[in-house]
Amino acid sequence: MTTRPNRLRLILRDLGTAAAFSSMAVSGQVPVWALALVIVAVLVSLMGFHPFARAPRLTAILLVPLAGALYLAVAAGQMDLVVAACSFAGLVASQRLLSETSPTTDGQVLLAGLLMIAGGAALSGELLFAVCLLAFAVLASLSLGLAVVEAAVPPGEPVPVRHVLRPLSKGVLVAMAGAVAFFVLFPRLNWNVGVRRAAPGLGPATSGFSDTVRLGGSGTLKSNPRVVLRAKLTPDPGSQRLDAYWLGRTYDTFNGQEWSTIGAPSKRRRTRVTLRPGAEKQVYQRIELLPAYGARTLIAMETPSKLGNALMHTPTGDRRTQLQELGGDELRFVEEALGYSYEVYSVPPGTDTDPGKLAQKELDQLLSLPENIDPRIEELAHQVVGNETDPLAAAQKLSNWLQREYTYTLELGGDVADPLMEFLFVRKAGHCEHFATALTLMLRTQGFEARLATGFFGGERVGDEYLVRAGDAHAWTHVLVPGRGFVTVDATPPAFRANQSLELLESLISLYEAIEGMWRSSVVDYSFRDQMNFLRDMSRPPRNEPGKERTQLPPLRAWLTAAMAGAAVYWTWRYLSRRKARAPVLEATRFVDSVERQLAAAGVRAGDGETLEDVSARLTRDAHPLAPAVSPLTRRYLEARFGQRPLQPGESARLLKELKHSVEVHKQQQQTPRARAS
Amino acid sequence: MSTPPPSLWRRIKAALRPPRTLKVTSVGRTYLVVTFGVGLGALNTGNNLLYLVLGLLLSVIILSGVLSERCIKDLTVRRVGTEGAFAGEPFAFRWGITRRQGHAFALTLSEVDSPLAGEGGVGYLPAGAEHVVRADLTAPRRGPVKLTGVRITTTWPLGLFAKTRVFALEGTLLVYPRRGFACADPGEAAVGHVGEANNPHRLDGTGDIAGLRELGEHEDARRVHWLKSASVGKLLKVEREREERRTYILGVQAGLTGDALERRCEEVAEQAHRLLEAGHEVGLELPQQRLRPGAGSGQERAILRALAWLGFEEQREEAA
Repeated sequence: MTTRPNRLRLILRDLGTAAAFSSMAVSGQVPVWALALVIVAVLVSLMGFHPFARAPRLTAILLVPLAGALYLAVAAGQMDLVVAACSFAGLVASQRLLSETSPTTDGQVLLAGLLMIAGGAALSGELLFAVCLLAFAVLASLSLGLAVVEAAVPPGEPVPVRHVLRPLSKGVLVAMAGAVAFFVLFPRLNWNVGVRRAAPGLGPATSGFSDTVRLGGSGTLKSNPRVVLRAKLTPDPGSQRLDAYWLGRTYDTFNGQEWSTIGAPSKRRRTRVTLRPGAEKQVYQRIELLPAYGARTLIAMETPSKLGNALMHTPTGDRRTQLQELGGDELRFVEEALGYSYEVYSVPPGTDTDPGKLAQKELDQLLSLPENIDPRIEELAHQVVGNETDPLAAAQKLSNWLQREYTYTLELGGDVADPLMEFLFVRKAGHCEHFATALTLMLRTQGFEARLATGFFGGERVGDEYLVRAGDAHAWTHVLVPGRGFVTVDATPPAFRANQSLELLESLISLYEAIEGMWRSSVVDYSFRDQMNFLRDMSRPPRNEPGKERTQLPPLRAWLTAAMAGAAVYWTWRYLSRRKARAPVLEATRFVDSVERQLAAAGVRAGDGETLEDVSARLTRDAHPLAPAVSPLTRRYLEARFGQRPLQPGESARLLKELKHSVEVHKQQQQTPRARAS
Repeated sequence: MSTPPPSLWRRIKAALRPPRTLKVTSVGRTYLVVTFGVGLGALNTGNNLLYLVLGLLLSVIILSGVLSERCIKDLTVRRVGTEGAFAGEPFAFRWGITRRQGHAFALTLSEVDSPLAGEGGVGYLPAGAEHVVRADLTAPRRGPVKLTGVRITTTWPLGLFAKTRVFALEGTLLVYPRRGFACADPGEAAVGHVGEANNPHRLDGTGDIAGLRELGEHEDARRVHWLKSASVGKLLKVEREREERRTYILGVQAGLTGDALERRCEEVAEQAHRLLEAGHEVGLELPQQRLRPGAGSGQERAILRALAWLGFEEQREEAA
């Protein structure tokens, strides 16, 4: 009689395989056709169909051309060997899923799943890998546990699923705790621990920098909450929100439709670039540009002076990269990568700075206007500025006027012939690029040198870092003030400078980023140094950090040590108490064994399944000479064994001595008549 | 308290037997190979995620050891035995297994160091109540089978390792001769009618009372039911069913050994079964033993037992 395989077990197995394959797929390197095949196979298996069950070997031949295709892709250099091997493991698992269920099949699916998980670990460092690993561990363990019980249950009887799942779940939790302990404590025996892999993360990049800024279109970017930049500042400002301008590049030429730069790119490639002399109390930034950024332009807090030590993050690891200077104070990474990290020194806001290395042509361009600019703009600017001669004061007047008279909106009518005129005189509403363009050009009409700057505005604290989102993309104006350099003036109303995304979505993304950051720092980039720090923190008292009051309570490690010592004492006591409880039972058993041996020596043997009680009854029934001696022994044994009246010290020896005496007397009585007969 | 003290060799063997034995299953072998590969990969590349996976794989190995140990400790087992074991065919064998505390899962029971093939299983064993595990065992040949212990194996929790614990439990299982078809005729009956019955009414026998009728002429006056005759005033004869029971004496000749002895035992067992089913009395004549003729299942069991011990008389004395 065969039993149908437990449906829940098969579902758990299929989902576990899907989780294992997903751990590779999150790297984005698995070929699409392999992904599609595995998804179809898992779905079909989940629906309970096993079309390969009738011909598992024949269908296994289908794997041969697939293996050949993967080999050709590897040989042609189109695919990494690890990716090909992992993809093939996924295909093998799919073929097995669609075959008949058996312990062998389940074992092969588990093997393929483990290989896929190992492949996922090699291919991806994403947080989603952790989720997939967790899911695989739970699902595969439950499936295997149910399979073990199912194999032991006699045919026809139901599998005790509910009774099994609870201890299995506890076991999986313990295994995970053990995995974490192993991970933390197992010494990293090599120094090749800094290999860092980048992946696209939540999808293709949505931000980016182009060579021009074109007015018009909609401002959908402002509602994108994806994080594009992560920065650690020294000294740490400490504030939760950082209203800082993160400069990408500047534009000096406007043709009526779009901004561009006349500066020529420098052909020199360097690892470190100095844009302007530094100043005291510079702000050091360790910046990481995430895959969501999607451009090669360096971003730095205004106003950057030195940039360098750049690393590019690729799917195969980190590499050093060089920087190239372009016009408009723009710096670009030479090579394309998914992400970058670099160091910047910036002059703090409000400090007089050098305008930077500007050619005379570029300086002249700061006053240029479009050829067909409407004269009403100049009139309007003059009305606002009046006879003001100070460029910064004029810029402030214009900025305040624009913020007061114009409204901010992300909904625009699309491309128009003269977007600036449309903004100033028709719609009187626009987004940051309209405000910044209007301020810049109105300043230029009054003879003040200005340029458009683009980058990001804001900064949201998560942990000890600041995050900048794609929706923080912003445009503002640089006014050249003699003796002070370029000064930032922002005409956009303050409430609309940062991103305009949904608060809930923003919170969720922030949460994800925080967890992802912890994952990166605690797991992916965990190193021998972190292990040493961990052990040092455990073994040494914490340092007295300024600003932290010392409490009178013992440190955490003291609590932990006390808890462990208490647990050890409790388990020892429990073990010893159990041993003590068993002692009377063992004593009674030894006693009955001795009684049996003495009776056997006297020729009284027990039959199959006959207990001492039965033997005693038989001897009494047969009027055996030993019956009077055996009866009290039997009663005393039963009391000791089952009656909660353990044998007293020495009682056992005394009773056995009496029995021995009776046995010897019985033997002598038996031998006497035989002697007479002879 | 079923058997005499074990021999010295058995005691030494039992003392040297490890308390637990561990065997890696086929899935477990695969698992260990993958774990080894992941470990090499982690050490070679320094990939922290591989270290994490390695930690999980090693934790599962340790967890398997701990949970399987918890599963097979605190167990007591006894043999319930079998109704009757015939050589060469599966017979139902039972063990009673009890868990003192906690739960146990996926236990497989079998007899250790014995020629009995087969095992029984229990998926879930709660604490307290005794669970009777049934197994279809098969004994290859007739005779007494020395049972030394019960082997309990579990692959809990993940089927990677099979941990075994042996409970020392001495006993003897007597395997009856194989049941088959006997071509030979059992021979003439020692007692009883030969050929067709002489009275078709079969009412002149010595069996149960079939009725009363008036005594006929020349009929035996010893059959008169005097009490009834006195009450009705005429002679009534007691009619009794005539019994067809005949008595056969089956025998195994002295000097048979090996396969010849086995074949004869099987043949005698089958003949005895057939004759007893037909209601006859069967006796048994063995070289060193004689069973008086008798009928019924008890006699059949006695014959089978005697045939099972035939050739193993020394062991029988030991067991006694």
